[in-house]
Amino acid sequence: MSIKELARNNSLFWLQSIPLGCVAKTRRRPTMPSFLRLAKRAPWNKNLESYFVHVPKLNTFLVVLALVVLLLGGISVQAVMADLPEEPLVTKMAPDQTIGKRGGTLYTLMAKSKDIRMMTVFGYARLVGFTRNFELKPDLLKDIIVEEGGRSFTLVIRKGHRWSDGHLFTAEDFRYYWEDIANNKKLSPFGPPPQLMVKGKSPTFTLIDEHTVRYRWDEPNPYFLPALAGARPLFIYVPAHYLKQFHASYTQAETLALLVDKHSKRNWAGLHHSRARQYKLTNPKLPVLQPWVNTTKPPSERFVFKRNPHYHRVDEKGQQLPYIDQVVINIASSSLIPAKARAGDATLQARYIRLDNYTFLKAGEKQSNYKVFLWKNARGSQVALYPNLNANDPEWRKLMQSAPFRRALSLAINRREINQVVYYGLAIEGGNTVLPASPLYDKKFTKSWCQYDPKLANQLLDELGLTKRNNLGIRLLPDGRPMEIIVQSPGESTEQTDILELIRDHWQGIGIKLLTRPSQREVFRNRVFSGDAIMAVWEGLDNALPTAEMNPKQLAPSVQEQYQWSQWGKYYETGQGKPPQLPEVLELVKLHRNWMHAPNIQQKSDIWRQMLSIYADQVYTIGTVTGILQPIVVSNNLMNVPKEGWFSWEPGAYFGVYRMDTFWLKTKAGE
Amino acid sequence: MFNYIAHRILMMIPTLIVISIIVFTIIQLPPGDFLESYMAELQSQGESIDKQKIAYLRQEYGLDKSMPEQYWTWVTGLLEGDLGYSFEYNLPVREVVGDRMYLTIMVSMLTIIFTWIIAFPIGMYSATHQYSWGDYGLTLIGFIGLATPNFLLALVLLYLANVYFGVSIGGLMDEQYVNQPWTWEKFKSILEHLWIPVIVIGTSGTAGMIRRLRANLLDELNKPYVVTGRAKGLGEKKLLVKYPLRVSLNFFIADIGSMLPSIISGAEIVALVLSLPTTGPMLLGALQSQDMYLAGSFLMFLAVLTVIGVLVSDLALAALDPRIRLTGGATK
Repeated sequence: MSIKELARNNSLFWLQSIPLGCVAKTRRRPTMPSFLRLAKRAPWNKNLESYFVHVPKLNTFLVVLALVVLLLGGISVQAVMADLPEEPLVTKMAPDQTIGKRGGTLYTLMAKSKDIRMMTVFGYARLVGFTRNFELKPDLLKDIIVEEGGRSFTLVIRKGHRWSDGHLFTAEDFRYYWEDIANNKKLSPFGPPPQLMVKGKSPTFTLIDEHTVRYRWDEPNPYFLPALAGARPLFIYVPAHYLKQFHASYTQAETLALLVDKHSKRNWAGLHHSRARQYKLTNPKLPVLQPWVNTTKPPSERFVFKRNPHYHRVDEKGQQLPYIDQVVINIASSSLIPAKARAGDATLQARYIRLDNYTFLKAGEKQSNYKVFLWKNARGSQVALYPNLNANDPEWRKLMQSAPFRRALSLAINRREINQVVYYGLAIEGGNTVLPASPLYDKKFTKSWCQYDPKLANQLLDELGLTKRNNLGIRLLPDGRPMEIIVQSPGESTEQTDILELIRDHWQGIGIKLLTRPSQREVFRNRVFSGDAIMAVWEGLDNALPTAEMNPKQLAPSVQEQYQWSQWGKYYETGQGKPPQLPEVLELVKLHRNWMHAPNIQQKSDIWRQMLSIYADQVYTIGTVTGILQPIVVSNNLMNVPKEGWFSWEPGAYFGVYRMDTFWLKTKAGE
Repeated sequence: MFNYIAHRILMMIPTLIVISIIVFTIIQLPPGDFLESYMAELQSQGESIDKQKIAYLRQEYGLDKSMPEQYWTWVTGLLEGDLGYSFEYNLPVREVVGDRMYLTIMVSMLTIIFTWIIAFPIGMYSATHQYSWGDYGLTLIGFIGLATPNFLLALVLLYLANVYFGVSIGGLMDEQYVNQPWTWEKFKSILEHLWIPVIVIGTSGTAGMIRRLRANLLDELNKPYVVTGRAKGLGEKKLLVKYPLRVSLNFFIADIGSMLPSIISGAEIVALVLSLPTTGPMLLGALQSQDMYLAGSFLMFLAVLTVIGVLVSDLALAALDPRIRLTGGATK
């Protein structure tokens, strides 16, 4: 434990205020050189000069004194302090992993300095976390006891578990979050986060003892555990001992004002927020429970994450994880990242590398001593079309809301061709639904209305009464306009435009003209939200590897960001706008509600299947291909990285479920 | 003279006010604000964000206020030397720009010097040896430099430097020196990397300068005063440097106005391609994500430099060329 870290301890907090005040005074001096020069010339110069000279001397003395006291205190604390919790988590290696040795540096590349938040994702130390098989297991917590049918959650903290600065991690850290952050009007003007609210009601928080806390709701809260295990987790704990110095209830107004001023914040709430970013890691002084701790203050081109000496996991031999001493993130422009990876500048690299780069990277394997693995992507569909059921245009809205029309559009797409042309035939063809690896998968969801059958598609359209055509063979809408579907695209990926180009030809065969309109991402979103768009192109389901315990909200209207029914989504999200009228959509809404109250896994998984079945049969989104591979560059020195895996944000947190803390380096250099 | 300068400086105030309004409006022109692009970016990566939190942030950042109010906050901040707050970096703009400024100035100064060193002798040679083989050859090389897209040249040089000299790709120094205090080793590492951006950014400027110097000099070379000088027995070299060259330097001095800001902004695209830790990519990023105070303060800074640069070049021109007179204001 260093002196600085020690200074953050509550017990020694009074000491900190002394050097802090001194620093503020000494800092102010050099900003007045012209004033000093003037003063030297003036007749009263002696006094002034002596003031400016003596104050820093006094300060230096005080600083030294404080440091000596802290150092002595530090040594004594160090002597009695153990690095590991009393009951560390013993990690069993997966069959394809071996016990490693500690040391070395792992290099990786990111395109923006705010990408360092990925270390929270990759590190994946969570209160409860998913395993490789997507089961929920306690991780930071020793145990979590769920009672009363999902109403009451008792969290048991490991004894002797410490923050990266050596301070104990206790129930106080949960209490502070709940009482002083989530329920503090200044810090959270809108109250606790939505995952902690059930039907608008917050839980009762009970502090049972130093290592146990309980959250209890009146109704079951199925969001709670998945939220804790998320790639971007819900942090219901904070390093209270560190943050108290920025909180008005614990720190004197004058000291706080000084700090607010120093960090040029508007008020103490802003200061507290900026110091407490546990996900974004922008404050190197913030203690964390993750395997690596950021030591670099942004902005920077290079971030160094050092091993957390108090991390709670050990391997079967009793060696503390993580194996790797430090992770270095170098910032480079995204277009250069594949080239830099090929030059051997990264020990482990997946972000900012795409399937297009595969051959290029493969060619450099020998020269730069790495291997390229191909992991799978867990999107429901790589590129999907979103017919806008809330379109403003009444004719189109009517058509988009009709299931036969959507089915016809889907049937007319030649997915085989897309797969061959764009993905070398490596992708899975089918609708936008869950992937075969999910326990909820059923082949018929993927196949439903996805065979290439232009004849049937034409027949469906004819049955809808869309029989009139113009001289170019384009069908006419009932009001006489030609059927031209303008697909709005965010204009970022050539992949999307390539696929749309192919679909244009396919739809020509059923008498529908497809036009693409690329714009900017914000413009794109606003067009969809407002109903100006009649169709949009975007990625498929965010999480195509769900288990029955995960919320099926992506299948029912629930948020505005659902481009097929954003206005209905907004209705269920915020209460503004109109509710849906379609019976099948209402059925999905109902099933989604039932899922939240379903008492057991069996029922939950039944509901999931019903929802998936409706979603696939109704073709609310038109999927194309999925299972796109993600190249991963892995240095030959880096061990324990699985050859095959899922590269997905949710669930899985990219490298998170594969436990980056168990990766190790054969040689110290780590190149 | 004094009156003229005072007048020009006073004129800067309304100019800068108008510029600040235009800058602020243009940054705000695209739909949405920083938080919307932030949400869109998060969503594209699968992350989602709580709407309430966005509402809170909007209030916290003052984005819920009307445009004129936001403008006023920004401008009054600027006057007090507060460049505002960067949303993207969650830091005051001052801290964000910090070190990048020095590296940018270094790259740009070296580029300018490189351009001069190459362009002046060649320009003079081409003009005095018009239509010779040397003139044609150098002109050809100059045109190639002008015609090759900078980013392409950057990529090619990057590849060659990596393959033949083992220079790490992109950046201005080897990664272990980032955030380290200045040492001899670090300096050497920077020199190793610096030549690529200097050549890439420099080539197009060089070609342009060669052409202009050649053309201007050619105009002057046959004028009567040169003939007179020669007739009176002045040596060729002295004659060239003292009279026609001096006159043909007008364009070069007039360039100072745009050179000052280019020292700061310098070749964004190349910096982006080469992943240089300079201010160019930062400005671009700020504009894309509508990080309005970062972008705004930056553009204002460039505007101030331009205005100052123009004044300096005007004064320098007056000093250089006796034909140019100060006639600012209402003098007739």
